[in-house]
Amino acid sequence: MEAARQRQQNRLLGKQLLPYLLVIPAFTFYVLFWLRPVLGQFIASFTDAAGNFTLNNYRLVFSDPEFGIAFGNTAIIVVFSVTIEFFLALFLALLINRKFRGASIFLFLVMIPMALPIVSVASMWKTGLTTNGWINSLLMYIGVLEAGESIYWLAGSRWKMLALIIIVDAWQVIPSVMIILLAGLQNIPQETEEAGYVFGGNYLTVLRKITLPILGPTIQTAVILRLIAAIQIWLIIVVLIGFSRVPVLVERIVYYEKEVPRLDISPLMVAGYTVVVTVVVSIAALTYLRVFSRRNTEVEDEFA
Amino acid sequence: MSSPRRRYWIIKGIKSTLFYLLVITIALLIILPVFFIVSLSFLTTHEAYSYPLPLLPGLTSRFILTHGERGYLLSVQDRVTGEYETVLDTDDLEKMSVYMEDRLGTPVSIPELEEQIARLSTEDPVYFSKSTDLLHNYKLFFQITRDAVPALVRSLQIAALTIIISLSVGGVAGYAFARYLFFGKDMMKFSVLFVRMFPAIAIAIPMVIILARMGFYDRPLGLALVYSIGNIALTTWITASIFMGIPESLEEAAQVFGANRLQAFIKTTLPLALPGLAAAAMFAFIGAWNETVAALILTQFNPTFSVVVYQSLVGATGQVNLAAAGGMVMAIPAVIFTFIIRRYVQQMWGGVTI
Repeated sequence: MEAARQRQQNRLLGKQLLPYLLVIPAFTFYVLFWLRPVLGQFIASFTDAAGNFTLNNYRLVFSDPEFGIAFGNTAIIVVFSVTIEFFLALFLALLINRKFRGASIFLFLVMIPMALPIVSVASMWKTGLTTNGWINSLLMYIGVLEAGESIYWLAGSRWKMLALIIIVDAWQVIPSVMIILLAGLQNIPQETEEAGYVFGGNYLTVLRKITLPILGPTIQTAVILRLIAAIQIWLIIVVLIGFSRVPVLVERIVYYEKEVPRLDISPLMVAGYTVVVTVVVSIAALTYLRVFSRRNTEVEDEFA
Repeated sequence: MSSPRRRYWIIKGIKSTLFYLLVITIALLIILPVFFIVSLSFLTTHEAYSYPLPLLPGLTSRFILTHGERGYLLSVQDRVTGEYETVLDTDDLEKMSVYMEDRLGTPVSIPELEEQIARLSTEDPVYFSKSTDLLHNYKLFFQITRDAVPALVRSLQIAALTIIISLSVGGVAGYAFARYLFFGKDMMKFSVLFVRMFPAIAIAIPMVIILARMGFYDRPLGLALVYSIGNIALTTWITASIFMGIPESLEEAAQVFGANRLQAFIKTTLPLALPGLAAAAMFAFIGAWNETVAALILTQFNPTFSVVVYQSLVGATGQVNLAAAGGMVMAIPAVIFTFIIRRYVQQMWGGVTI
C-alpha cells in the first residue's frame, strides 16, 4: 500500500520534472546565446571606453546627419512596401481562392519567389537593372526601346531609388503574405459569404462587410510580420545601388561594421544603430505577440 | 439558341477570357525574372557583353576562320542579328583556344584548331561550328571567385551543424510542449516566437566578441550557434505540432508491453514523426543556407557561400553571366528544399489547399 502510493507520487513528480528537463537545453541555449549578447549589447551602448555610464553613443548616432535620412528611408520603405504588398497579396489570395482551373499551378508559380534566397533575388535584379541588362534588352525586343537606346534604371533621385527598392522587395515578398491571407480566407466557412449574397450583397459589399472583417486577425498577423521584415531590408539596396546612397538603418550597421571598421566612431555607431534597430523591431514584434495572444485559442491550430 | 442565352454565353466568355488574361499576366511577371536569370547563367561572356542580350542561350557557336594581318582572324556569329563579328586576330593557337573557351564558352582544342587551319588552304574563309559548353559560367564562377569552393563546403557544414543543434535542442522542447502542461508553458511559447522575430543583426554584432572569446569567430560552429537561435524556436514549433498529431496512447501501449519511456518513444512515436522531422531539418537548412547578414559580420577569412555571392554582386559587375551563375548556384538547393516542404510551408499558416 505504502509502496504503491510512493510509486504514484514518484510518477507524478516524474511527470512534472520531465517537461522541465526537456525544456532546459533550449532555455540554457537562449540564455547563453540570445539573452547574454542582447543584454551585453544594450549595456555596451550605454558605456564609454573606460567603462562608465554615458549617453554619448546615442548622442553620436542621433547627431549623425545620415541618421535622420536612414530613419526616414526605412520609414518610407516600411510604409509603402507593407501597404502595396498587402493589397496586391490580398488581391492574389482572393484570386486563387476562387479555385479556377489551373489555380494549383498558379499557386505553385507564385511560390517560386518565396523560395529564392535574397542573394539570388539580388543577382536577378542586378543583372536586370544594369543599363545593358535583361530588362532593357526585353524592352528593346518588344519595341519599347530603339536599337542602342537604354534606360538608366539605377541612376537618379532618392525617390526613384526608393520606388525601385519597394518594387523589387514586393516581387519577392508578396507570395509569403499571400499564403498567410489565403490560409485565413480558406478558414472562412462558405455559408457566411453565401448568406451575404442571399441578402442581396454584391461581390464588393460581401468582401467589405463580411470577408475582410472575419479576416481581420489574419491581416494583422500578415502586416506585422511584414513590418518586422521590412525594417530590416538592406541587402537588395546595397547590391543594387551601393552603400551610403540610400542609407537605411541596418545598412548603416553593416557599413560601419564591414566597410569602414577602422574609423574611431565605427564601434560607437554600430552599437548605437544596433540598439535603435532592435528597439524598433522589438516594438513591432511585441505588438504582433499581443495580437497573436488575443487569439490564443487559434495558436494550437495554427501549427497543427 | 435564343438570343438572351447567347448573350449570356458571350458575356461569360469575355469575362473568363479577361480573368485568364489577368492570371497569365501575373504569372508572367513572376516567371520572367526567373526565366532571365536562368537564361543569363548559360550565356557566354562574349554574349553577356552584347546589347541587347540574347533571350536564350545557344547550343552551338558558329565561327569563321580566315587569314588576318597578324595571323588568323576569328569571327563569331551574333545569334541576335545573325551577323559575324571579328573578335580575334592572332597566330598564337593556344591564345585562340583559351579565348574561345573563356570568352566564347566553347572549348576548342589546339589540334581541332589546326585541323580547321589546314582547311584554309582549300577554302577561305572556313566556316565551322562547335557545341557550346552550357555549364561554362558555373565552372568559371568557381574558378575566378576566390573562396567559392571552400565557401560552398563551409555553408553545407554550417547547415548540417545547425540542423543537428536545432533538431536536438528544439525537438526535445517541442516534445515537452506537445505532451505536458507545465508552469510557464504559455510564457515560453511566446518568448520562443519573440526570439524568432528578433533582428539577426542585433544578435550578430554582440556575438562577434562572444564567439571570439570562445574561439568560434570566423568558424562554422560559431555561425551554426547563431543560426540555431532562430531555428530552435522554429523547430520547437514544428516538432510540437508533429508530436501533437501522434496519439500518446501509442507510447502508453508500448509501456504496457514492458518498454520504458525512452524505448516507447523510439519504437512508436519517432518513426511516425520522421517525415515531419525531416521537414523541420529542411527548414533549418534553408534558413542557414540563405542567411547573409550574420554571416557577413561573423566571418572574416572564411566566408559562407552566400557571402561570396553577395560580394561578387556588390560593386562593379560587367559580367551578368557570372552574377547570374552565382545567384543560380545559391538558389538551387533553397528552391528544391522549399518545394519538397511546400505542404508544410502552406500548412504552417493554417492548411492552404487548392
